[in-house]
Amino acid sequence: MFWRKQRAAIDGFHSLHQALIWQRGFSATMLPDEWGRLVHSLAGHGAVVRRRKWAPPPRATTVVVPLVQVLSADTRGDGTLSVAADLRGPNVQGKLSAQQTFPGQRRGVRKIVEWWSYDPWLSMRAELRDGSELELTIADRVRYRKIHKRSQSGKYKTKMKTKTVQRVSVTRRLPAGTALQRPPSPPPRWITVRVRDGKRPVIRASAKLMAGGQDERALPEQILHMATELFRWSPASAAGATGTARRTS
Amino acid sequence: MEPRERRGRHRDGEEDELTPCSVTTGFFVLGRCGGPAVAACGQCGQPICQAHVEANGLCPECAAAAGYAPQDPHDPRWVGGYRRWFHHRTSQAYNDPTWYSSFDSYDRGSFNPGDDWNSGSGDFGGDDGGGFVDS
Repeated sequence: MFWRKQRAAIDGFHSLHQALIWQRGFSATMLPDEWGRLVHSLAGHGAVVRRRKWAPPPRATTVVVPLVQVLSADTRGDGTLSVAADLRGPNVQGKLSAQQTFPGQRRGVRKIVEWWSYDPWLSMRAELRDGSELELTIADRVRYRKIHKRSQSGKYKTKMKTKTVQRVSVTRRLPAGTALQRPPSPPPRWITVRVRDGKRPVIRASAKLMAGGQDERALPEQILHMATELFRWSPASAAGATGTARRTS
Repeated sequence: MEPRERRGRHRDGEEDELTPCSVTTGFFVLGRCGGPAVAACGQCGQPICQAHVEANGLCPECAAAAGYAPQDPHDPRWVGGYRRWFHHRTSQAYNDPTWYSSFDSYDRGSFNPGDDWNSGSGDFGGDDGGGFVDS
């Protein structure tokens, strides 16, 4: 059997690491220490497994690991961090819509076939040590267009176009009775903020990001910029209300 | 690389018996480690626990100042260095002085031009006019 040493090495990895390799995703709720063990396992992947087919999806290392590290740092010791990652990509069954056909409007275009994909590929929820809960979701919405043309010489040709938009939403549910305070400066214009004040205030920051040509390594930073806005709404004076937390409430 | 260390917490009363580790932990919700200290940082003198003792007996912040800040997100110590860099970036994006005031002195140090890892005084150290002014 080929690759038996590397296959045996994979059998020794963390179970969620194996799920990333074989199923291209996982869904789990664990304590921060256990997430640390998963990240430790992922860090050692390249040293023992060199077959590209068995590499974890790129988003696991560029997006999931940094966000897990950051949220684990803020999760209280007995609090849980939940992650649901579906890194199979947008072009799989169950994520695709039905195809629609439109007649061509321009000269030479016979018809246009269009379909969509909705891919909510990452969802996370953390119980922070200040008593609040943080949730984030990332979804790719992809438009596929297949344009059927006929050239001047009579040949039939097709052209495929895709356009991807990322929808990111970060929500923070504060502890009951927390007073909200509007920040002195607005967030960057690409972030939309909605606030529901009440017994248990909820702040949500959402954004539409253009994906595709953009380097996805910048995505964790953009998501954390959005999360920053949620922490600016709670006054710093209430920090330390629970345990060792010093900022926010 | 070791897995993420367990952050020790003390119940009331225990801190009287042990000197708690004063290394800053967290990203948005900052706190002190609070684990039992086993040594003092060789440079700044703050008490540090076994999990936070870096090379040469330094605390993570002084070790980062010496150029040992990990760049790999898989490293459990990466969050501390990234937090400092990230808060610098958010202050530029948000232009919010109150957000800056909530930073730890370690994070404030990133605003000092030419002093990438000044973890002690931040912009309150000295009246040299080279501190944080853009608010």
